Amino acid sequence: MIFGGGVDVGSTQTKAIILSDRREIVGRALIGTGANVIKAAENTFVKALEDARLSREAVGYVVGTGYGRYKVTFGDAQITEITCHAKGAQFLFPGTRTVIDMGGQDTKAIKIGSAGEVLDFCMNDKCAAGTGRFMQAAAECMGLSLDEIGPISLKGQTPVRLTSVCTVFVESDILSYVAQKKRPEDILAGVHKAIATRTISLVRRVGIEDEITFTGGVARNVGMVEALQSTLGRKLNVSPEAHFNGALGAAFFALERAERLAAGQAAASLA
Amino acid sequence: MAITPIIDRCRARLEDVQFGSVREWKARHPGGKAVGCFPVYTPVEIIHATGMLPVGLFGGGNTIELANADARFQSFVCSIAKSTLEMGFQNRLKLLDGVVFSSICDVARNLSSVMARNFPELHVDYIHHAQNMTSPSAVDYMESEFGRVQRSMEKLAGQPVSQETLAASLKMYNRIREILRHLYRVRRDSPHMISTVELYILIRSGTLVPPEEHLQELQQVLELLPARQGRPKDRVRVVIESAFCEQPPLELLQVVEEAGCYIVDDDLLTGWRWYIEDVPEEMPPLRALAESYIKRSVYSSVRHDGPRSRTAGLVEKVRRADGQAVIFMPAKFCEPALFDYPLFRLALEKANIPHLVIEFEEKMWTFERTRNELETFVESMLFD
Amino acid sequence: MATAIKVDKDRKYQSEVNDYSKRILTEYFDQLARAAKTREPTGFLMISGNCVEILRTFGMHPVFPEVNALQLAIRKQSLPMILKAEQMGYSSDNCAYVKADIGMLMSGGYGPEGTIPYPSLVVCNYVGCNVYVKWFEHIAQFCGAPLFMLDIPFLREGDQPSQDDITYVVRQLQELIDTCSRITGRPFDIDRLREVLAFSARAEEGWSGAKALCKRKPAPFDAYFDSINMMGPINVLRGTREAAEFFDFAVEAFEALAAQRKGPLAEERFRTIVEGPPPYPYYRNFRNLFAAWGAVAVNSTYSTVGGLWEFGFRHDPRRPLESIAEQMLVENLTNRSLTARYQQIRRYVEEWEADALVIHSIKSCRLFSAGQGDMREYFTRELGVSTLLVESDLEDPRYYSEAQMKNRIDAFFEALDHRKFLQKA
Repeated sequence: MIFGGGVDVGSTQTKAIILSDRREIVGRALIGTGANVIKAAENTFVKALEDARLSREAVGYVVGTGYGRYKVTFGDAQITEITCHAKGAQFLFPGTRTVIDMGGQDTKAIKIGSAGEVLDFCMNDKCAAGTGRFMQAAAECMGLSLDEIGPISLKGQTPVRLTSVCTVFVESDILSYVAQKKRPEDILAGVHKAIATRTISLVRRVGIEDEITFTGGVARNVGMVEALQSTLGRKLNVSPEAHFNGALGAAFFALERAERLAAGQAAASLA
Repeated sequence: MAITPIIDRCRARLEDVQFGSVREWKARHPGGKAVGCFPVYTPVEIIHATGMLPVGLFGGGNTIELANADARFQSFVCSIAKSTLEMGFQNRLKLLDGVVFSSICDVARNLSSVMARNFPELHVDYIHHAQNMTSPSAVDYMESEFGRVQRSMEKLAGQPVSQETLAASLKMYNRIREILRHLYRVRRDSPHMISTVELYILIRSGTLVPPEEHLQELQQVLELLPARQGRPKDRVRVVIESAFCEQPPLELLQVVEEAGCYIVDDDLLTGWRWYIEDVPEEMPPLRALAESYIKRSVYSSVRHDGPRSRTAGLVEKVRRADGQAVIFMPAKFCEPALFDYPLFRLALEKANIPHLVIEFEEKMWTFERTRNELETFVESMLFD
Repeated sequence: MATAIKVDKDRKYQSEVNDYSKRILTEYFDQLARAAKTREPTGFLMISGNCVEILRTFGMHPVFPEVNALQLAIRKQSLPMILKAEQMGYSSDNCAYVKADIGMLMSGGYGPEGTIPYPSLVVCNYVGCNVYVKWFEHIAQFCGAPLFMLDIPFLREGDQPSQDDITYVVRQLQELIDTCSRITGRPFDIDRLREVLAFSARAEEGWSGAKALCKRKPAPFDAYFDSINMMGPINVLRGTREAAEFFDFAVEAFEALAAQRKGPLAEERFRTIVEGPPPYPYYRNFRNLFAAWGAVAVNSTYSTVGGLWEFGFRHDPRRPLESIAEQMLVENLTNRSLTARYQQIRRYVEEWEADALVIHSIKSCRLFSAGQGDMREYFTRELGVSTLLVESDLEDPRYYSEAQMKNRIDAFFEALDHRKFLQKA
């Protein structure tokens, strides 16, 4: 059996996936990236191997992705996470034509073709608004955890208006609504709505085409899923593997190359 | 009848995002056309003379969500450019047959191209106003440019304009100018008689109706003014500068007044208050407009200085209005306003005139921070 | 799927042409430094659609504040100047070119103690860019110098100026000539102007010939980075014998390269059109990011801000003022609309056979950047041209993030390569 490994080194978390040639996930791992990025990549991969009960040699090819992709020192190749997210999304939902990825520090909109190839992409990486960091700031200033804010926001009935989606100002805007005795559900609904509007703006640059798949860490936030769906007026694909999407795509590319290499060796040995 | 109901009616007209008053006019004049005028500066007399309605275009204010325009313009671009484009995408400009842009800044110019491309049914014109205010050929040029605008508007209107009609329009707007000058004098001499918010509402709502109606409303207010009760309060007399294109929300102007200021002069709605004197009526109209543009217009951040610099103009303005301070109120990312600030600042320091800078966005919605800054400033002025 | 190759971060993109260009520009800067001390007459001008020929006719040293700013950025000296200007009240949202130059002025960079001479005359050629007006007003104010406003009506109806526009410009040129004569104390010599214009035309012919060579495969030079290196001779030194001779040389050198099928990179894998100014503080870094993918620019828009010479226009000594007026009104990028630029780029993509459009959007310049989202929309959606949009600034180093830049560039060429591969399969 042939295996491919993908390691996605993000700013906050590192993820690893091991894929078999039956196109099944046989191992996965996720840890906080921390200060030592090289170690994080290594450790995550080892954990994924343990999860898969495989030895390192069993994995024919490893692809590193994410901002820290060049720190995957044991990797055989580096591919950008845009390309990997596209592939991962198409793997999870073959009808995907638009990918919305909201991660720790950037938001991406990717238009893909039927083979999961990237046709166009747009990123918002200059500004934290709409990213995990923004959600974090909003959650903190309301004394809530990231996991709580989504479900609470779903109960909002009259979402408040945010004047700006600037992470620097979100705190003072939220505090001023708290002082006005607005319900937390409405405040959070407003926060999610503002981010959804801004995100959809970004997605429009590549064009919105069904099916739309939502990936990345923020995809676990049910409030965000709902806010995006209601702003778009369409349903989104969301997978429980959403935050592994980049590593999955990387593992898929790794698998393809491992298979090519194996075929090449087989051919050579026949010659 | 008192003034307040008139102002309330005007305010409702102003806050109607669907341009109700323009729709009504079109209903009353089947086949009539409306031309949007981006804030600074359109020779509205020419549009009016063709029988079309000039309509003040000031962006989407805080009533519009940027769902599409953000994909076309960057984040470091002023809100009015994006909200105007957004209004186009949301079909809120469908009732306009044309839009006129001019040489305000690079963003406005690029916006005119983007609008022309995305809304091909819209008749888009761009006026290159003279920047050379001292050349002997400047007036000739402006006359030719206004002539070109005339032809462009005639084409849209589907009919030519006679000199007589043009002269009549000029006269009409002169009468409006006269009243506005008077009202600003009232603001300066007896600011307790009419607030800046009221005056602003009057002028801006007047850009949404035919000048005949606007004139009538102004005359009504003029007649009722002396009867108004009021005692002057102990307020700081300020001049507002840099709010010539994207307009501050009404609430912000209110906050300035509430914080303890009398706004005794300003450059709000500059594009509709462009001439400091009447445009001469004894000359051929286009020539009169051209000459007035070069010799009898306000100083402005949107163009190069004439014989008298902008900075000298500001200091003069403050003195003439007996002002104590200047509040710079540039729209966020407003390039011309932000560039003028360093020289303005130097001139004010030299003239010993204190100032405050408050950047705003038309889509502002909460004003706590700003109120604090203003109140602090007013206190510092009063307890000097 | 292909990946980026490793490029040495100190890799030099040297060529004889670059060296020659550097040499004559250095001589020019030395002249300026001397003029700063001797107080010979000088004229400040903007690069866009400039009338340098008129200054040369009067023997006035032309000084281009933009070039000053650009040099500061390339030498990584722009930030302290920008900060100084911001202390004076210039906004973080104002064009960093201006801030760097004003910062330098305020730090003693002008005048006998500095390297840039004070202006005898500030000629504000208003050719589309509104920031120019402010910039020159400020310089004139701070230096106490007279300012001549040369107002060039924007190309706003169709693709030709009106007769009224031309008349207005020609009259102002005549007024400018009178002013220069007064300031220098020299009479106007029409024959000298014709001579200068003849040199200009020769340089323009060379520049245009060089650009045309990039239609070959591989292109003999990078029509973004290397063209930018040649902007000095074509915009700053235009009208001199040196510039004319430089372009004669350049064309020969490029023709030789083209004959040997040599380009600036080992392999030309992708042909791009590049829109927008470069990030000068990270010039080489930026170039390396594209070199890693074998991406060569075969044409660029920024290189045409001073003049558009590749579609046939030349200054004409037989119609001196009219052809100067035409150049300023029509034959440059900045006096044309944003959508006119779309058509310029479209022509480039088609005639120079490019694979992709790269838009470098910069924070400082709204003339270039405001609305590039719409440009992108036009090219990707309506014309089906693969387009990459990256962002930073041309002068302020704080807006460049190498990691983000690399990420976007890599993702783009990965995808382009992947699609090429799929098309072949």
